[in-house]
Amino acid sequence: MNKIITILLGLLSQFVCLAQSDTCTSVLKGRVIDEHDSTGLDFANIFLPGHAIGALADSLGFFEIRNICSGNYLVRISHLGCTTIEVPVKIEGLTQRNFYLEHHSELLKEIEIMAEQLKDQTTQNSNIISLEKIDQSKGMALGDVLKNVPGVSSLNTGNSISKPVIHGMHSNRILLLNNGTRHEGQQWGVEHAPEIDPFIANNITVIKGANSVKYGSDAIAGVVLIDAKPLRYSPGIEGEMDLVGMSNGRSGTASVNVDGSFNKLSALAWRIQGTLKKSGNISAPEYILKNTGLKEYNFSYTLGWKRKNYGAEIYYSQFNSTFGIFSASHFGNLTDLKKAFDSPVPLETADFTYNIERPYQHTEHELFKINSFINTGAKSKLSLTYARQYNLRYEYDKHAPLKDSLENLNKPELQYELTTHTADIVWEYNHVKKHTGQLGVSGISQSNTYAGRALIPNFQNYGGGIFIIDRVKLNKVEIEGGLRYDNKLIQIYKYQYVANSTYELIKPEHKFENFTGNLGFIFKRDTLLNISLNIGTAWREPSVSELYSDGLHHGAAALEFGNSELESERTRNILFTVKYHPHARLKIEATPYVHFIQNFIYRQPASAPMLTIHGAFPAFYFKQTNAELKGVDLYLNYKLLNKLEVIGTASLLRARDKTHNEWLVTMPSDKYGVEFHRQFNSSKKMNSAYVSASLLYVTKQKRVPDNSDFVAAPDEYYTVNLHSSYTFYIKTQKLEVGLSVFNLLNRSYRDYLDKFRYFTDSMGRNIALRIKIPFDFRSNPS
Amino acid sequence: MKKTTQKTVLILVTLFTFFIGCKKDEDPVPQPQPPSNEEEVITTMRLTFVDSSDHSNVITASFRDPDGDGGLAYDLFDTIRLEQNKTWETSILLLNETVVPADTISNEVLDEGDDHLFCYTPSGTSAAVIITDMDSNGLPIGLQSKWYTGAAGNGTIQVELRHQPGVKDGTCIPGDTDISVVFEIEIQ
Repeated sequence: MNKIITILLGLLSQFVCLAQSDTCTSVLKGRVIDEHDSTGLDFANIFLPGHAIGALADSLGFFEIRNICSGNYLVRISHLGCTTIEVPVKIEGLTQRNFYLEHHSELLKEIEIMAEQLKDQTTQNSNIISLEKIDQSKGMALGDVLKNVPGVSSLNTGNSISKPVIHGMHSNRILLLNNGTRHEGQQWGVEHAPEIDPFIANNITVIKGANSVKYGSDAIAGVVLIDAKPLRYSPGIEGEMDLVGMSNGRSGTASVNVDGSFNKLSALAWRIQGTLKKSGNISAPEYILKNTGLKEYNFSYTLGWKRKNYGAEIYYSQFNSTFGIFSASHFGNLTDLKKAFDSPVPLETADFTYNIERPYQHTEHELFKINSFINTGAKSKLSLTYARQYNLRYEYDKHAPLKDSLENLNKPELQYELTTHTADIVWEYNHVKKHTGQLGVSGISQSNTYAGRALIPNFQNYGGGIFIIDRVKLNKVEIEGGLRYDNKLIQIYKYQYVANSTYELIKPEHKFENFTGNLGFIFKRDTLLNISLNIGTAWREPSVSELYSDGLHHGAAALEFGNSELESERTRNILFTVKYHPHARLKIEATPYVHFIQNFIYRQPASAPMLTIHGAFPAFYFKQTNAELKGVDLYLNYKLLNKLEVIGTASLLRARDKTHNEWLVTMPSDKYGVEFHRQFNSSKKMNSAYVSASLLYVTKQKRVPDNSDFVAAPDEYYTVNLHSSYTFYIKTQKLEVGLSVFNLLNRSYRDYLDKFRYFTDSMGRNIALRIKIPFDFRSNPS
Repeated sequence: MKKTTQKTVLILVTLFTFFIGCKKDEDPVPQPQPPSNEEEVITTMRLTFVDSSDHSNVITASFRDPDGDGGLAYDLFDTIRLEQNKTWETSILLLNETVVPADTISNEVLDEGDDHLFCYTPSGTSAAVIITDMDSNGLPIGLQSKWYTGAAGNGTIQVELRHQPGVKDGTCIPGDTDISVVFEIEIQ
C-alpha cells in the first residue's frame, strides 16, 4: 500500500516537474538512522554542499528537503558523535532515501559510557519510559511509573505499595537493576514494594522476556533498569529541584539533585541528591482511608573520576520509608474478613491526618557501590563492580503487645534484615569485526536474619554465575546470543517446634545449578519495518518464602506454608516484536508473546480453613504446575495533525495452568488506553508545552480459577487522567510547571490486582502540581 | 562558581559520608535465637468452671496451639461438659506457653480491661452467660462470668476476645478479634 502511494506521489511529482520544467521542485525525504540499533538519529544535519540547501531531521530522524532542482548531488549527513558521511544521490521528483550513520567509537565512549548498557539490548524487547511520563509520575511510587509500558501492570496494596507486574509475573520473577546493581530486598512479599527512590531515575527501561543472561538467572518475566543520568564531567554546577504537591493525601514531595565538577579537576565529578515526601490519609471518592499516610526520606551521592581510558565511581544511597497500612484491611480472622467484605463501606474510616498509627511498616534500604572501568583497547573495556546492600523491614501489627513492658519497647512484630554483597566483572567489546558482546562473571552472598514472628527463617545464600553474550551484524539481520551458567546454595537456619516449649534448629541446604540462554534476531529491511524475535530460557530457584514460609501472614489473613521440596522454575519464552513505522505520522508496535513455565510456583488455598486461637484462617500451600502465559502488547501512535497525536495501547494476557487445565490466579485483566496529546508551538516566552487527556479502560478479570479467592473479581472500570506541562522563563531562570489530574471524574472503582480491593475503593480524584527548577552555573576556567 | 563554595561542598559531602556511615545488621550471625523472643503469642485459652453449689466440683476446658499460629496445629481442643441446671462461676486464663515459665496474658487483658471485651455466643445449647467483672468505666470485661445451664443437649459456644481501644461500648460490634474459639458444649 505504502509503496503504491510512494509511486503515485513520485509519478505525480514527475508530472509537476514536467509541467514546470524550469522550476526546481524535486524533494528529498527520508530518515537518518543509527546503524547499530536502527533508531532514528534526532536532529541530524542533511546538507547539499555547494547548493546551500539543507534540513534538520526531527526528533525521530525524519527529514525532508524541498525545492531541489533535479540532478545528481552529494548529500552530506552529520550528527553529533557520528562520522559525517557524504553519499551521492540522484534527486529527481520525490526521492526517498535513508541514511545510516555510524557512531564514532571513541566519541561514543566519551559520550555514552553509561548509556551503552541499554544500546546493547537491541534484539530484546526494551521499552524506555519517556521523560515526559517519568515527570508525570513524579511524587508517586516507582510501580506507578512503570505502568506506562504496555504489558506492565502494578500489583498494589493500597496506594503506597506498588510492585511492577510484567506479563502477569511479579516479585521474584522480575529483576530490578538500580544503577546497574540487582536490587535485593524482601521482594517475595506482594506487599513489599521496591525500596528505590524514583527521583534518582533519569532513564527507566523495561525489558520484557527472559533476559537473564546478563543480569542473573531470576529474570523470568523481565528486567527493569533504573539509571541515573551520567555525571557532569565539565567544570561548573548544575542541578534540578522538583516540587510536587498532590491534593489527595495532601502530599508534598521535594527533591533536589546537584551535579558538579571542579574547575581545575573536571575529571572529578560529584552529585548529591535527596528527596523528602510526606502524605496523609488518602481518600476514595466517598470516604477517607484510615491510616494511609506515608513519610519518606531518601538521598544519594556519587563521586566519579574519569579519564579517557579509565574511571571509577562511588555511589551511596539510602531509602527510608514509613507508611501506614489501611486500618480496615488488617483483620483478625475469616469471620472478620467476611464482615469486611460484606460491608459496602470500610469498617473503619477516619478524618484526614498525617499521623501514622499501627498497623504500619518501616523499610530502609542502603546501597553502596563502587564501579570502575578501564579501556582494554580502542574497542573494548573491562569493568568491575562491587555493591553492598542492606535492607531492613519492620512490620507492626495492628495491636501493640498486651504487656506494657513489650508495648513500651515498640518493637515490630516482624523484622527482617537482609545484607547482600555482589561483585561483577564484565569485559565488553564493541564492533570488533561486526561483533559486539560481553563476557562476565558475577558473585553474590546474602544473609537474612529475622526477629519477632518467624514467617521466613534465617538463611544464607551464595551464588556465582558466568555468562557470554555476542551480537553479530550481518547485512540486514542482527543476531544476538547469550549463555549463562549459575550455581547457587541456600543454607537455611530454622527453629522447628518439637514439644513442651522446646525448639530444634534445623539447617537444610538447597543447591541449584542451571543454564540460561537467549537467542535474538532483528530484521531491518528498511526503516519502515523492524522485526525482532527473541527466544529465551531462564530459571529461578524457589525463594526462601516459597520453601520455608510457616505461619500467619498478618494483614494477608492467611496461613502460609512453604514446601521445601519445590524445584526450580524454568521458563521458555518467545517474544516477537514488530515495529512498523511507515511514515512520520504513524508508528505501530506489536509484541505477541508466550511464556511456557515449567514448575510454576503458586499459592494454592487448602480446602478447609485452619483453626488458630484467633479463629479460622484460610491456609495456603505452595505448589508447582506447568503454566502458559500468552498475550500481546500493542502500541500505536498516530499524528492526527502536526501537533496532535493519538496514542493507543493495549495489554492482553491469557494465563493458563496447563496441568489442571484452568486459569491462573492474580493475573492482570485486559487493559486498553487511549491518549490525545496536543503539543503547542514554542514561543520566546513559553516552550515545550503540552496538554494530554487519557482514558484507561480495564476489563473485569473473568478468567479466574474457581474457589481461589475470598471474593469475586471486581467489575470493569475506566479512569480519565489529564496531564499538562509548560516551560517558561522568569528572566533567565527556566521553570517547568506541570499539572495532572488523576481519576478526573472521581469515579469509584476497584482493581483486581489491588489487595485492598477487598475492603475499599481505589483512590479518588487527585490533582498534582509539579514545579521543576533546573539550574546551571557554568564556570569559566580560570 | 567560587572555589570556596566548591571546597565547602566537597567537605560537606565528605563529612556526610562519615556521619552516615553504613547501616548494618547488628546480628549478622545467621543462627537465629530460639524463639523465646519478645514476640507476644497466645497459645492457650483455659476456661475453668466452678460449680456454685459445690466449690470442689471444678471443670476445665482448653484450646491450645503450642507453637502459636502456623507450624503445628492445636494439640488441645476440649469439649465443655457441664451438668444441667446449675450455675457455674467461670474464669478465663490466657497463656503464652512458648516460653518457660508460661506467661499469663490474661493479666494483661485485665490491665487493659477498658479496651477489651469477651463475647460469648451460645448456639443450640441451653447455656446462658452473664459477665460479672467490670472495667473502670463500668462496662463488662468477661474474664469472669456466670454460666447457667438448663436442659441437657449439645451445641456450641463461641468465646471471642474483642480488642476495642477507644471504641468500647459494651457491645461486641466495634474493634477487632484477638481471640475466637468455638467450643463444642455438652450439657449432661
